[in-house]
Amino acid sequence: MMLARVADSLYWLGRHAERAEHMSRLAGVMLNAALDQTDAADHAAHIALAAVGDGPPGDPGDAMDVARILVLDRTNPAAVVSSLASARENARQIREQITTESWERLNFLYLRATGIGAEAAFASDAPDFLQRIIADLHQFKGSAEATMSHGEGWRFMLTGVYIERAQLMARLLKVCFGGETPVDDHVALVGLLRMACALEPYLRAYTADIDARNILEFLMFDEEFPRSIRFSTERIQEYLTHLSSGRELGRHDPQRLAGRLNARLTYANIDEIDVGGAGDLLTAVGAECAAIHAAIYEAFVAYPLEMRLPA
Amino acid sequence: MNRHLSQGISATPHSPIQEASPSHSETAYLPGDAYDEMFAPGGVTRANYQLLDQDIQALGAQALADRQKTLERSFLLQGITFTVYGAGSATERIIPTDLFPRIIPAGEWARIEAGLIQRLKALNLFLADIYGDQRILADGIIPRDLILGSPAYRRQMQHLFVPHQAYVNVCGSDLIRGQDGEFFVLEDNLRVPSGVSYMLANRDAARRTFPHTFREARVRPVERYPDLLLSTLKSMAEGVRPNPQIVVLTPGVYNSAYYEHAYLARLMGVPLVEGRDLTVHDNRVYMRTTAGLRRVDVIYRRVDDDFVDPLTFRRDSSLGVAGLFNAYRAGQVTICNAPGTGVADDKAVYAYVPSIVRYYLDEDAILPNVKTFLCREPAQLSHVLANLDQLVVKAVGASGGYGMLVGPHASAAEREVFAEALKADPANYVAQPTIQLSTAPCLVDGKIEPRHVDLRPFILSGEKVVVTPGALTRVALRRGSLVVNSSQGGGSKDTWVLADAPADAETP
Repeated sequence: MMLARVADSLYWLGRHAERAEHMSRLAGVMLNAALDQTDAADHAAHIALAAVGDGPPGDPGDAMDVARILVLDRTNPAAVVSSLASARENARQIREQITTESWERLNFLYLRATGIGAEAAFASDAPDFLQRIIADLHQFKGSAEATMSHGEGWRFMLTGVYIERAQLMARLLKVCFGGETPVDDHVALVGLLRMACALEPYLRAYTADIDARNILEFLMFDEEFPRSIRFSTERIQEYLTHLSSGRELGRHDPQRLAGRLNARLTYANIDEIDVGGAGDLLTAVGAECAAIHAAIYEAFVAYPLEMRLPA
Repeated sequence: MNRHLSQGISATPHSPIQEASPSHSETAYLPGDAYDEMFAPGGVTRANYQLLDQDIQALGAQALADRQKTLERSFLLQGITFTVYGAGSATERIIPTDLFPRIIPAGEWARIEAGLIQRLKALNLFLADIYGDQRILADGIIPRDLILGSPAYRRQMQHLFVPHQAYVNVCGSDLIRGQDGEFFVLEDNLRVPSGVSYMLANRDAARRTFPHTFREARVRPVERYPDLLLSTLKSMAEGVRPNPQIVVLTPGVYNSAYYEHAYLARLMGVPLVEGRDLTVHDNRVYMRTTAGLRRVDVIYRRVDDDFVDPLTFRRDSSLGVAGLFNAYRAGQVTICNAPGTGVADDKAVYAYVPSIVRYYLDEDAILPNVKTFLCREPAQLSHVLANLDQLVVKAVGASGGYGMLVGPHASAAEREVFAEALKADPANYVAQPTIQLSTAPCLVDGKIEPRHVDLRPFILSGEKVVVTPGALTRVALRRGSLVVNSSQGGGSKDTWVLADAPADAETP
């Protein structure tokens, strides 16, 4: 039992932290690809841009300028600093609910990424700047995992993390494999694995055989890789099962939706999916996550008072 | 600077160092006319500061500057900040904090403690009387219109049961030390006093800055404040429900004291709620949780009276909870501090507190008041008008250092304007002689300089009255300034209350 507003903030804290991490990684891979000055590298940059933006990517222009917009531009709601500020603001509103250790990690990260020295640090060594943000976010999650009670609040936060992760991953894969011309060149595929932080785990699972179908299988259905969509949906189901237990949630039970989505990914078979036709399933993942999000609100946060008043 | 510091802080004019090398006069510590917390007249270090003095000497200027930096960084990291809203952006600042603790010997503290307990007991009895039979008004001790006409008087509180007659559960009085070393009460803060989180955060910092001195000096702990607060709040639910659900009610994250609200809720282990989290049904208060609605029994509210309940008080308030006051009247919830306590910390009522203590307790006040002229009395008004250049004039209802004239520092024109306001509405003003607040050494731009300080101890009152042995020492950071309010550029420092007095030689 916790305040509905607090559960809401913890959930969004998880989502924003995950988004900041993902965006930092996309920007980092894009900058790295731009160093190569090849067509393939351009392709990687396009993938990154398409995965963050809504419309079709135009001319990426100077990679550094684009990266600055993705990372430091406070007027861009998807920018890394915007996500960090939202994560931190949510944490501040529930300051008494998260441990001092986790709060100080997040606050430190926020102050560094938005402070006076941030622009200069980014200009002088952007990859390092992004690397440190990712490392700091890992520290935040690590200290939260090590110091917070793994109870209700924790589960709300991680539900946010995994819903965000599943949606971001679905969008990234859709950009690569959902269109008419699925990505198949080596450099772009390696870039994709890096954006998903999956290169090393993938190599261990499939050896250095960079193959579009294997990559799609790994990022969608792998049981053990923490950034695969299936891994995320399994966690979402697990947390929501705990959160819903012993409660009358009726039609809006988010656990039912989460179970259905997870079953879809658990029992899917890559052989039945055409690499070029993964789009339908990926679209469904995005839509189902949105439905789970709405159901969580209905069940735990924005329920109508009349239903819950004592007789 | 280095040389000077390596020899310790020395007070002029009679310090041997000063005489040996007059060139140090720019960097030496010059306490001025006020009582100095560290140095007795003649430059002798007071007994309670001797350990600290040695520690400062041993550290030297560079180490002190480093520690000041570490301290500020740690405050920023912890998020002990307030937000300044400016053109399109909001920046967070830390409350300036000085690294040198202010040290109070045991003997002095015993007197302060006794005085504070006596005063709060009397004020709670006074509130119970005002919101009860009003004997003190009938007996003509206090003019009736002063109380019933006060904007802080809440007629809705009349004849309402308050457990233990504890209307004020959390009090943060402001004390000052005059030139002769005696402590006065300057203000009783009975509404929603803040600052206790700074007392705790400053302690944490000072302990790390001067670990050696802290160990040796036998400083009394302040860390129990959150549990004492919790048991005080629990005691306010006695007879309502066993195992009461307690919450802290905050106006929200944009309030300048939000850090403190979150801090206290976290250390007490109770939910921090906003008005929108609460709802009233059938005179019972509920909070909206993920598992439905949960009963709330005690609300430690950090919103002003006016904003508690839009149905009873201000209609345009969105910070409070509609129907909360009715639930309170019905005895289904306790609000701490009770609404309407402000009627007893009004600057005009202040002048009557010594009479209040005598009336209810039949004792003389242990801690004296500052001499106060009530401008509502014609004779006193003409005295005030004739002596505007020597007096501090304050608006009765204002706080935070606003609406105030410091006569000696004001221009003739400013005094002229204020005199007109005084004549137009004399009942709205009181005047007090300008008091040289005591000074304490502070690190300012790398130099150790005297700055004026006050003292805000925290008193809890429920079933029992307890004073935490510590306080927030507020510092007027501008040289010579007497205004310590954080809204007016004040800072703070830790306050050490010592466990026993070393030979009680604190005032040689």
